[in-house]
Amino acid sequence: MAEAAVSAGRTPLIVGKRLSEVTEDVCRPLDTRPTALWWAGFVFSLALLGLGTAAIAYQVATGIGTWGLNRTVGWAFDITNFVFWIGIGHAGTLISAILFLFRQRWRTSVNRAAEAMTLFAVMCAGIFPVIHMGRPWLFFWIAPYPNARGTLWMNFRSPLAWDFFAISTYFLISAVFWYVGLIPDLATARDRTPPGLRRRLYEIFSLGWNGSFRTWHHYEVVYLLLAGLATPLVISVHTIVSWDFATSVIPGWHTTIFPPYFVAGAIFSGMAMVLTLMLVARVVMGLQAYITHRHVDVMCKLILLTSGIVALAYGTEFFTALYSANQYEQFVFKNRALGPMAWAYWTMVSCNVLAPQLLWFSAVRRRFLLVFIVTLFINVGMWFERFVIIVTSLHRDYLPSSWASYAPTSIEVATLLGSFGLFFSAFLLFCRLIPVIAIAEVKSVVGTPPAGTHEPAPAAGRPALSAVEA
Amino acid sequence: MANESPRRYWRSLEERAPDDAFREAAADEFPPAPEQTATLFGRRGFLQAAGFTLAGAVSAGCQRAPVRYALPFANEPETVTPGRSLWYASTCSACEAGCGVLVKVRDGRPIKIEGNPEHPLSRGGVCAAGQAAVLGLYDSQRFTGPRRGGADATWEQVDADVLARLAAIRASGGAVRVLSQTITSPALQAAIDRFLTGFADGRHVVYDALSASGVLDAHARTHGRRVLPRYALERASVLVGIDADFLGTWVSPVEFTRGYREARSLEGDPPRCSYHVQFEGRLSLTGTKADLRVRILPEDEPRVIEQLVARVAAKAGVAFEARGGAPAVDGAVLDDLAARLWAARGESLVMAGTPDLAAQVLVNYLNQLLGNYGHTIDLERPSRQRRGEDAAIERLAGELRAGSVAALVVLRANPVYELPAVHEFATLVPRAGLVVSLAQAPDETSALAAIVCPDHHALESWGDAEPVDGLAAVVQPAIRPLANTRAAIETFARWSGQDATALDLVRAHWQQAVFQRSGAGEGFDAFWDRVVHDGFTVLGAPSGQPAAFSDGAVTPLPASERQGDGFALVLHPTTALLDGRHAHNPWLQELPDPITKITWDNVAALAPAAAERLGVTSGDLVEIASPDGSGQPPLVLPVHVQPGQHEGVLAVALGYGRAGTERFADIGPRWLDAQPGVGPNGRVGVNLAPWLITRGGLVHASARRVTISRLPGRYELATTQHHHSINEPRSVSSAGARPLVVETSLSLLRSSADQELAPHPRYESWWPDDHPTGGPRWGMVVDLSACTGCSACVVACQAENNIPVVGRDEVRRQREMHWMRIDRYFTDAADDVDVVHQPMLCQHCANASCESVCPVLATVHSSEGLNEQVYNRCVGTRYCANNCAYKVRRFNWFNYAHPSERENLVLNPDVTVRTRGVMEKCSFCVQRIHEARTEARRRNVPLADGDVQPACGQSCPARAITFGDLNDPKSRVATLARSQRFFRVLEELDLRTSVGYLSVVRNREATSPEAHHG
Repeated sequence: MAEAAVSAGRTPLIVGKRLSEVTEDVCRPLDTRPTALWWAGFVFSLALLGLGTAAIAYQVATGIGTWGLNRTVGWAFDITNFVFWIGIGHAGTLISAILFLFRQRWRTSVNRAAEAMTLFAVMCAGIFPVIHMGRPWLFFWIAPYPNARGTLWMNFRSPLAWDFFAISTYFLISAVFWYVGLIPDLATARDRTPPGLRRRLYEIFSLGWNGSFRTWHHYEVVYLLLAGLATPLVISVHTIVSWDFATSVIPGWHTTIFPPYFVAGAIFSGMAMVLTLMLVARVVMGLQAYITHRHVDVMCKLILLTSGIVALAYGTEFFTALYSANQYEQFVFKNRALGPMAWAYWTMVSCNVLAPQLLWFSAVRRRFLLVFIVTLFINVGMWFERFVIIVTSLHRDYLPSSWASYAPTSIEVATLLGSFGLFFSAFLLFCRLIPVIAIAEVKSVVGTPPAGTHEPAPAAGRPALSAVEA
Repeated sequence: MANESPRRYWRSLEERAPDDAFREAAADEFPPAPEQTATLFGRRGFLQAAGFTLAGAVSAGCQRAPVRYALPFANEPETVTPGRSLWYASTCSACEAGCGVLVKVRDGRPIKIEGNPEHPLSRGGVCAAGQAAVLGLYDSQRFTGPRRGGADATWEQVDADVLARLAAIRASGGAVRVLSQTITSPALQAAIDRFLTGFADGRHVVYDALSASGVLDAHARTHGRRVLPRYALERASVLVGIDADFLGTWVSPVEFTRGYREARSLEGDPPRCSYHVQFEGRLSLTGTKADLRVRILPEDEPRVIEQLVARVAAKAGVAFEARGGAPAVDGAVLDDLAARLWAARGESLVMAGTPDLAAQVLVNYLNQLLGNYGHTIDLERPSRQRRGEDAAIERLAGELRAGSVAALVVLRANPVYELPAVHEFATLVPRAGLVVSLAQAPDETSALAAIVCPDHHALESWGDAEPVDGLAAVVQPAIRPLANTRAAIETFARWSGQDATALDLVRAHWQQAVFQRSGAGEGFDAFWDRVVHDGFTVLGAPSGQPAAFSDGAVTPLPASERQGDGFALVLHPTTALLDGRHAHNPWLQELPDPITKITWDNVAALAPAAAERLGVTSGDLVEIASPDGSGQPPLVLPVHVQPGQHEGVLAVALGYGRAGTERFADIGPRWLDAQPGVGPNGRVGVNLAPWLITRGGLVHASARRVTISRLPGRYELATTQHHHSINEPRSVSSAGARPLVVETSLSLLRSSADQELAPHPRYESWWPDDHPTGGPRWGMVVDLSACTGCSACVVACQAENNIPVVGRDEVRRQREMHWMRIDRYFTDAADDVDVVHQPMLCQHCANASCESVCPVLATVHSSEGLNEQVYNRCVGTRYCANNCAYKVRRFNWFNYAHPSERENLVLNPDVTVRTRGVMEKCSFCVQRIHEARTEARRRNVPLADGDVQPACGQSCPARAITFGDLNDPKSRVATLARSQRFFRVLEELDLRTSVGYLSVVRNREATSPEAHHG
């Protein structure tokens, strides 16, 4: 039992923690009363949520006219927010499924939070396709359900119908995946919780987990299968979302590079959001030992990669327009860069292409404050990317007679803020009720060898696990 | 032990003693199952009760909207079949032009006005204002009954009052004046004349707010008859308009448009194309169609006329000396024009709108030199559409000032609003002893009247019209009067001591005065029935004799001096509001101006160079003042930069700022961020009529000089076509050269006519047709060369399809609802701009981009090629509108409620009124297709070409819209679709539209092979 958890030449991801300390550290917020800081954040988030709810209620009661849309610009904040949140929701599944299959063990520190973030983001995203409808109370008509209208069915040729399937599938699989991963930790929490309602709830949701070999074995198999199932979804969801635009005839939307462009953008924005949240959480919740420089470093590199893909897509769009000899296409891109909404375009470029270049420098990657600021820029930039794609393409399309402008109303801004309110409220509750780090998984990278393995002795300079093992 | 019962504990003896029920139960050999024994709430009982409660609660909550029964008539009127419309031939009352109309009546309500195709003047066309008149019928603010001293009264009261006062006047010999605009109704005119003969000093004072007094006065001088001649544009091959917006607002635009179109029918046999030159200061509708447009200052108009006369006189070998000074325009232009005019002697036409008498005399001389009288100008059967005399107003003002008018009766006129301030009618009207107004709705003049005897709306009343000498038409009611009003003719008859209904009066007049002129062989009853059926009759002999031109009347112009600094203020009517009489009609207020595309406001239109000089852009506020400080107090208007306008001209529309337009402050949806629907003065626009000036007894709309100074602040105009910020780089503010319109010149068209050369590449698709149509495939071809942009189709569509009015604020937010819009594009031409009007509506693509993206199949393709919108299936994702390349889809952002229940009576029961949250768009008037097909089936005949006409095409004065079956190779629309001029907009997208266009052809020499622009 005196061997390191990792192969020779690799530093363990988490050092200086005993396994029991891991449990203690992660479960501590579950056992203690919330801090004033948490309350402040929660009340603020709830206030935003209330504001957004009021705005949505007013809009549904009064009409979509309370938004700044017009006969030419039929989508703006609504679909921008939708695509933005769906994008945010991408990192979770990427980290938990794809990186799991690729045996990226650093994911263990962040996957739980990332998956939770995915769920909350998809919830936020799901609001918008419903409320953007003129008659939201009939939203279920886009689902194929048995009805009394004879042969009337939905339109399977419409990308919005594909969206419905893509998002509902994604939400379902993400939720199941997240929950399955939670079961061992819920059992841990159950075992630590004194009898009472909370314990009863943990008992129910841990599904009678007993930690036996058979249980672990089944768990591992299911987790692997789910990871395999979730992996294509990472690609498919944003691909299908991008088809909302790519299958249209509108210059600036009608382009074949949208699927990879959107997927890369989604991973980019999702990673940025994970970092934004975790950089705060690790300090506030005292998880510095679990989310270390190495985690941040790896994620920064991933951001740098996806930023490069996104930048390439931006350039490709211009090249395609130039090469197409299609004047409408060319005009849209000229208009993006120089037109009345050029400020949005250049905000997007600065935030998504220029700001991440700082991450080339390891000095920057090591300074969490700088990384945090860069991720904030990326969050803003990726919101603007969707805004630019949607609004600047629509507002000046084929017939100049119909060109229009767009400006959001207070109701739209309140709705956007409300979605952030929902996201942060849900995330703050999550921090208090569920272990934010996958305890069982992260223990595998603490340096404890998996049972039964025999690895060479740890290199000098690393703490002997026997010394810290309970 | 199992059989050991627990010890029983009891509290009282009753409890201990087994009761009857226990004994019964004990006696029962076969006890029921334990569930059933539970007394009140066993498990099943509970579930039953809970289920019942839930079902009850649900069924109570599921109550549908209260049932309202549509009851049939107890006694069904003989002619009324529910669901079928009746059509009544009548005469339009929206202006004095007197176009023939057919009024569509459904269930006793007039709901639509369409052109009478057999009417000799309009020949099926109706303008925007004429179509909107049906909404005016249901105006909730019309007078509901007679009023006396500002309070409601009965007819007996007001009649007794008026008759008593008139008797006193008759006794004292006081002056009685009836003041009206031109009255084209012979019967009403006779009633007024009869009324006035009862007084020693009774006179009918006639004026026109849109005056043609100068033309009439000139003819009085040159021909001895004070009439407006009838212009036959269809016979003119060279046409000169000098500040006469004859296609837009001047005298009889529908008639003129039809004639103009006929003279330029490129698809005709033989093809014709007249040559049209327009001299003007502002950019008028007529100017946009001109083959050559010359921008001149209004004060230069007489000199241009004079110089043109001099050139033509030289060709005619007549001595004429122009003394007007320096040439106002390039002499070469006038030389060329004079040569063309001379070559087209007898089939040319010069029309001028200037009120200047000397200039109008010269115009007559010019037409005389060209031999146009008797050919393109008819004086034997002159027009009666303008008979007003500006000088009469001046005389009446003098009498009022002197206090010598005992009674003033005002009908069909609003002098307080529409006359120049110099006449001071606002203060003079009350000086008359008795002021009686016969207005239909409250206006500035009726507010000053002691007694109001409201007239019927023309759709409620019998009447007649003789807009052109020898063309007598009837006005017949299409509905019983909605309120306690009385026809003006009855009112005058009553005051003349005659108690008869309007029908009797009109009939009697026709029997006496019209019947024998008709020369009809039938009896009067048969004649009358035929006229009421047809709506009009053409009378035999002209009423007047041809008058000879007296050369002596022609005098050279007095040498004019250049006027002072500042801008020449050009006041002009608009196609929608005319002189302001339609300012209470929301359809017309929301109709985009054909040139500026501005709704709900009038603006200070400045040429780009002038705006640049002043440092203003569209939307900036400016103050307009008289340079000498005299005249009117300065007023504030928003600037609109208008290409094509003369640099020295400031053009402002008349007809705005009417009292009572405060009612539109709340029009449109009211919500958190809603802005008022009126301007800062609380009204819609600003009234410029006080700025009119009189000179030599004639009202001049374009003779005032003003200065303009920029004010801080901006005002956002509600336009349907946006103007772009000047701060943007040109590469993005201009769309570049987009092939949206194909434009060609006549010479090029003729030179390539023999070659089978398609003007536009046709794209063949590799894919099979998605929607093959076995039967008809409905399609439309719009002739852009014929379209004048008059916007009659826009209002026709609005009336037919229950399109809501959304108000200024919503238009400002670019949410107007018109299914049919007219895109107006400018293009550079020499030193001027050319204008193209492109009616744009749903193109009914066979390969529609909207259809594939709707998730709920709310927009689908019909078997007849229609792109159909299913309102009750639409959930409002707006994806279809985003994906429409033509942006013709309109979304119901709110519930656009109509302002009053009464105005809802105008709704067409064949068309669904849409609720909020659903998309809508042009349906190709699918209800009319069905109606025509049902009718054909009823008559057991196949549907013929032309049986189906959408509302827009029906009323188009220029016959620019052709609708029909594209699958029928012999149909007119299919023939036009094979034309060399045919093109589709954005054809390269392969949407396979069912709407196509015919290229714009200008009568010019080819300068470039083909011009595409947008």
